[in-house]
Formats: sequence, structure tokens, C-alpha cells
Amino acid sequence: MKVKLISALIGGAAIVVAAVYGCSKAGPTPPASVGASTSVKDLMAKRGLSEADVEAALRTYMPTGKLDDYMIFASGGQSGQVLAIGVPSMRLLKVIGVFTPEPWQGYGYGGNDGNEVLAQGKQGTHALTWADVHHPNLSETKGDYDGKFLFVNDKANARVAVIDLEDFMTKQIVANPLVASDHGGAFVTPNTDYVIETSQYPAPLGREYAPLSEYKDKYRGLAMFWKFDRTKGRIDKDASWAVELPPYTQDLADAGKLVSDGYVFINSFNTEMAIGGTLDGKPPIESGASQNDMDYLHVIDWKKAEALIAAGKGTVIKGIRVLPLAVAGSEGVLHLIGESKSPHGVDVTPDGTEIVVGGKLDTHATVFSFAKIKALIDEKRYESRDAYGIPVLPFKDSIRGQAEIGLGPLHTVFDDKGFAYTSVFIDSVVAKWSLKDLKVVDKTPAHYNIGHILAAEGDTVSPDGHYVVAMNKMSLDRFANVGPLFPQNFQLIDIDGERMRLLADMPIGIGEPHYSQMIKMDKLKPIKIYKVGTNPYTGKRDPFATVGGKERIERKGDVVDVYMTAIRSHFTPDQIVVEEGDTVNLHITSLEQSEDQTHGFTINMYNIDLSLEPGKHENVTFKADMPGVYPMYCTEFCSALHLEMAGYFLVRPKGTK
Amino acid sequence: MDKVSEDKPHRSLPLVSVERRIKERWIVVLLAVAAAALYAFSLTVPWWHFTLFAPQYPKGLNLVISLTGISGDVHEVNMLNHYIGMGHIDDAAIFERQMAAYGVGALGVGAILVALAVGKKLSPLMVLLGLSFPVGFLADSVYWLYRFGHDLDPKAPLRMKVFTPQMFGEGVIGQFRTIATPELGFFLALAGVVCLGVALVLRRRICGSCGRAPQCRAVCTSLLIGPRAGLPKAAP
Repeated sequence: MKVKLISALIGGAAIVVAAVYGCSKAGPTPPASVGASTSVKDLMAKRGLSEADVEAALRTYMPTGKLDDYMIFASGGQSGQVLAIGVPSMRLLKVIGVFTPEPWQGYGYGGNDGNEVLAQGKQGTHALTWADVHHPNLSETKGDYDGKFLFVNDKANARVAVIDLEDFMTKQIVANPLVASDHGGAFVTPNTDYVIETSQYPAPLGREYAPLSEYKDKYRGLAMFWKFDRTKGRIDKDASWAVELPPYTQDLADAGKLVSDGYVFINSFNTEMAIGGTLDGKPPIESGASQNDMDYLHVIDWKKAEALIAAGKGTVIKGIRVLPLAVAGSEGVLHLIGESKSPHGVDVTPDGTEIVVGGKLDTHATVFSFAKIKALIDEKRYESRDAYGIPVLPFKDSIRGQAEIGLGPLHTVFDDKGFAYTSVFIDSVVAKWSLKDLKVVDKTPAHYNIGHILAAEGDTVSPDGHYVVAMNKMSLDRFANVGPLFPQNFQLIDIDGERMRLLADMPIGIGEPHYSQMIKMDKLKPIKIYKVGTNPYTGKRDPFATVGGKERIERKGDVVDVYMTAIRSHFTPDQIVVEEGDTVNLHITSLEQSEDQTHGFTINMYNIDLSLEPGKHENVTFKADMPGVYPMYCTEFCSALHLEMAGYFLVRPKGTK
Repeated sequence: MDKVSEDKPHRSLPLVSVERRIKERWIVVLLAVAAAALYAFSLTVPWWHFTLFAPQYPKGLNLVISLTGISGDVHEVNMLNHYIGMGHIDDAAIFERQMAAYGVGALGVGAILVALAVGKKLSPLMVLLGLSFPVGFLADSVYWLYRFGHDLDPKAPLRMKVFTPQMFGEGVIGQFRTIATPELGFFLALAGVVCLGVALVLRRRICGSCGRAPQCRAVCTSLLIGPRAGLPKAAP
């Protein structure tokens, strides 16, 4: 009976697959009638599923053991983390600890190095334990993802993090000492020479104090060029530099590629330089910033800027060389071009020849031609200069045209067939349009208020097509009620056919994601275990790593060094006695070499929590300032004797024996 | 077969030419050398393979046994074995593994010497010598398997009835399904035995037509001396 039902289902599924296949070959025609068997039809009727639903299920369903084709690296928004998601299943694979302590990964809970990475992100006297994560960007080689590193910015605290995709761990956080917030990051140049981070809300550079009345004189924007050292896998702060920008609110950025390599494009709003003042009867920033018909697209010749910095034209502020605004204007580093007011996305086409700017308050996406911009720059054909003497290129002569998209076009990504996909916030749709004639060919609803959009390798020199994902700010009625803070909604859309087709929704319940990128799975080559004794932050054998049989406790004065190993199902040593006030250095090496055989380690009440993946070494330093008896145990159900994987950490009251 | 009695070999000599007998003598030499080479080669390749499957190990754990060492998932298997109080498998047969190269050398030289230098009565020694190699390996392995399955630490977290892991085919230990199969090295050794077997047959044939059969003792003189040694005077 059961077998019969199953075989009927399989038969039904096969028929549906055949129908889907036939239909995708046929092109735009709506799905042909599915010759589903009775039992599949019964199931469909019972669950109220349409044929399109069944088709979407068949395109995204992952039977156990089958692996996804793509991985999304998504901003985790306010969580401060990055999400790794499989496509097409839209399953959450990992929440990577980045700016916020992450207990499961033992990130920021005692492990020296995790603590150090988080400490690098300090911007003042307060520990920062969250971030407004915006734009993850994969490292590129020749404009294509190489699957080695991921960079992501924190808008709130003006920081950029480096995640090594060898082990999916955050290895570095750089805190920008110059600006008060950032937005246009962390975008990379085509060979990942630089990670770009542009400021958002203008403030005095170096974060000095200046009253708002001195906004135009003292407040500034900035484009930061973090130099990335690929061999070390770290940003080299000393080799990094910046370009000072006018106090317009710089927004998103994108690096040129191929023909436009060497340039960075940044858009802006509030060229009115409105600062609000509602209590004094002045208009709020939202209206003050929306008075001009045009804002400015910033065009930066970063190779020229790099040469000027090398020639000593930079001014050092807070240890960073900054190319002054006046020099940037006079030396041809910075040019401005009008763009429809309050734009949002700025996205370079795969061939590098054009730049698409989403109108946001304008119904168009404007397509700027790099060749035209370059010619205007070379001929010095300026329309005017702005208040800071920066040359402004004529808008009409810079563009190829404008695509009429709809209300609130934001971001644009690309496929492999010459189409662009723009998120349209107010209309809440994804618009597909042709780069050839700038005509919209299809629209599909997003649920709801789509913000960013991503496509499979959709911002590289060779997009893959197949999928776009709408990253929606609201989910309204899409998911079960979980109280007034609704999940965000990622929607996977199939773009292989002429018409876009919604395949799946994925609730995001950890923060409001911004940008994401999607990479082909085979470009990622993460390790599965560490070599025994590896410190993940150096990638080398830790000098304190211990081998089995050499475990020991060494005391020098009031410093106690514990050389410890962990393997199923015991820690060695399993008894540690120190005296109140001792400084304890725990050096723990996992001797495991079997995949997925992770141990956790905690000394409770001391807020120590480590993740010991196979082979990993961790160092913990703390003061044993609370006398008492503390069980230390494995926090990951590692084996049948996991609960027995425990020991005692005793802190003898001072003066007792 | 050959019913020639040793004291009257010349009466019923097989009708094969002198040249052929000379050739066969060289074949015996070559076969002995080949057997020695096969044994030597078997030192460098795996002899036996144990695969252990459990739900947590869908790809299986592998132990590869060669004459000189144990490789594969030794670390993991040791870790698992500690639960039942079994010793480290890399502590098994240390002496045998250290001596393997010398043993194989001695065996090779021995096989050649026996093939050439013993008298007819003792000539089956060459096959016995050859056989002792794979058979000795099997016996020693089973011995160690028995010891490891029986010398279990009584204070181990999991107490098991003593057992002997399967040396051949499928077995079950706890949640593990084990599969044990011979590998190239073992087959090379068997091939060496076959070489010696063929050599023996040829040897016996040559001995059967040996002119010095009455003088045949433990040591054969004919095979070591010039090509015509031991042959009867040329037939008419």
C-alpha cells in the first residue's frame, strides 16, 4: 500500500519534471498542463498547491545528502554577522561571527584571538558588540569571484571585516579612524588590490568635534582605500589611504572593471547639505535633502590618486594618508556628474562599459557611459564646478539613456544574457530590462518592499544567470506571526526562462540584511579540519600547542600555564587547582582529526566558551578572581560519553592550602 | 608423472633435447628471481585493507596494512578503540614490521638458493619457503587481531566481550560493520608462490633426467655447475 503510493508519487513527480523541462524549452508560454498522477493531484488539492507551486518545489527541494549549487553570503544586518545560505534550497548553512561575539563559534568568549579580532574593532572607549552589517563582497581575481575572502562593512561604526573563506572565520576588523559612519563598502577592485569603504553621514575627518554650523567647512565625506595583502590575508593599514570628499552624503559605490578598471563610482544624496533642525522650525533632513533635482555621482580615478599619495600629496590624519579635496579636484582625481536626486544603487555592468544608477525618487535607472565620461574628463568639458571647486561633467553627455523602471528603482544586478534586474522598492517588484534597448521586459512582485537584489555572480565580469534573490524589507503576511518584529524575506527567483518565476521564500530572523552575493559552490574550497595545533588566526601551529602525553600544568609565581588536550571524551588534565588571584593561561589543543568532531569548552561563571574544531588550538587568559568550584566541560555533544567529558577547575581562596 | 627411479635415471629419460633442458634450468633461475622480486615489491604496497562503516562514518574508516606499517585513519580508530580499552593499533607487530625488510631479503635469497642448490628431495622446500611468507603474514595478523580483541582494559568506559576482529570478509564490532580484504601485496606474494611452484615442477623434471641422480644429496651440484653438468652422455 505504502510502496504503491510512493511509486505513484515518484511517477507523478517524473511527469511533472518532464512537463517542466518541456515548458522551459518552449519558452515564455505558461506551464503546460501537468499530467500529474491522481495521488500527486490529491496532494496538490489537499495542500492547495498550484502546478507552479509544484514546479517551484521540484526546482528547490533538496533531498537529504544533495548539495546546493550556489552559496549566498548575506549581510546579517544589525546582528553584526554574515549568513551563509545554500541555493536553490535557501537553507541557512551558517551564521558567521563577524562584529558580534558568537558563542557557538567561541568567538569573543575568552579565546585570545577571537577576542583580539573583536577588540580591533573598538572605535573609542566602548566595546562595540553589534554592527549594522551592510555589504558583503567576495574577493575577486580579474573581476571574477575567486572564493578566497569575504569583506563586509559596518555602517554604524565605520568598520570593515575580513573573513577568510578557508575556514569561514573572521580574521581581521579594521576600524576607520577618520569617519563617523560608512556605507559604500566593502567593495573590491577587480583584483582585490583595495577594499573600498566610503563614508555615509559627513563628519569632521578624524572624528574631531565641530558644531553643525560649521558643516560646510569642517564636515567631510571620504573614500577609503584599504590595501589588501592577499598573501597575508589581511588589510595592510599602513599601505591604505583615502580621498577626501565634499560633505554630500555619499552612498553606494562600485569599482570599475575591464575598460573602467582604475575608477570608482560613488553616488550621493543631500548635495543640499541639509542638517535638519526641526526644533528650530527648519525642515527635517528628509525634505531638506530632497530639494535639488540632481545629486552627484562621484567618479574617482583611483590609480591617479594612488600615484599622488605615493608622491607624498596626502595629508596624514589619524595615521592615514588622505588626499585633500582640493588636490583631488585640481589633479583630476575627482569628477562629479549630476544624477537623478536621491539615487541609490550604482552598479557597473559586467563588461565594465556602463554604470547603472537607480533613481529611488525617480522612476528611471540611468545608464552612464564610461567612454563618454572618460572623453569628457579628457577634454575637460565641465558643465560647472561645485561649491568646493570640483569639476561637474554635463549629465546629458555622460549617459547613454534612461530605462523607465517604475517607482523607486534601487539596485541593479546582471545575468549572462544582457539583461539587468533592478529592485523597485515602492512598486515592490523586480524589473527585468534589456541593456540593449533599455526596455523593461518583465516584472515580478516581491513580498514586500524589496531593497537589495542579488544575482548568481551578478556583479562580476561573467554573471551566471539562473537565479536572482529579492531581499525584502517586509514580509507582512508571508510567515507565521512571531510578534511585532517580523522576519525579513529573501525570495529566490528563477531567471532562466523569459519570464521570472518566484521559487521560494526564506525568512531571515536575525537582522535586516542589506546586500548579499552569490558564488558558485565549486569556487569555494574550505578546509574540513585543522592540522593538529593550528591557531586559526595565524594559520600556523601555535607555539603553545600540546601533543598527547605532554599535557602539564606549569606555575611561575602567580601565573599558571595549563597545557591541555581535548579528544573524545576527555580533557587532559581534568583537574586544575589555582589560587585566587592567579593569572591562568589555558592552552587547549584538539587532537581530533575526524571531520565534524568538534568539542566545546567552558569554565562556567567565567564567561569562557570555546569551540574546538578538529585540530584547533585556543589560548585563554583570565584572572581567577572568584574562589570556588567550577565544572569545566565539553559544550558540544561530541560522543556517547560527552557528558562525561568534564573536569574541575578549582580556585582556592587566597592563603588556604 | 615421472616414474624414473633415482638410481636408474638413464633408462627412461624423457625424449627432450639437451637444449631444452638447459633452457628450463634458466627458467628455474628466472622464476626464483621473479619470486624474490615480487616479494620485494610487495614490501612497498598494501597487503590488507580494513574498512569500518558506521552511521557517523558514511565514507568509512580505512586501515591499510602493509608489511612495514599501518596507515589510514589510525588516529581515529585508536580514539574509538580507547572507549573499549583496546590498545593503539600502531603498537601492533612492531617487531615484525621492523624485521620485514630483512625477512623479505632473506626469503628472496633463500628462494633463489633453494631453487638452485638443494637436491631433489629437498626441492619442495622452495614452495614451502614461499608459502611461509603469505601464510606467516596471515597467522601473525590473526594473532594480533586476537590479542587486541582480548587484551581489553577492564577499566575502559565501555566493557565488551572479548572478540577477534574478522581477518577476511564482513564482520560486526559494536556499531561498526567491518570489511577486510587482501590487497595487492598479498596477491604479489601469492604470485611469488606460484612462480616457485612452477619452478619446482621444472626442477623436478630436470632432476628426473639428471645423470647424477644416484649422487643426489641435500645439496645439488648439477644445477650450480656448467650447463651440461649432470646430463647423460649425448644420446645416439
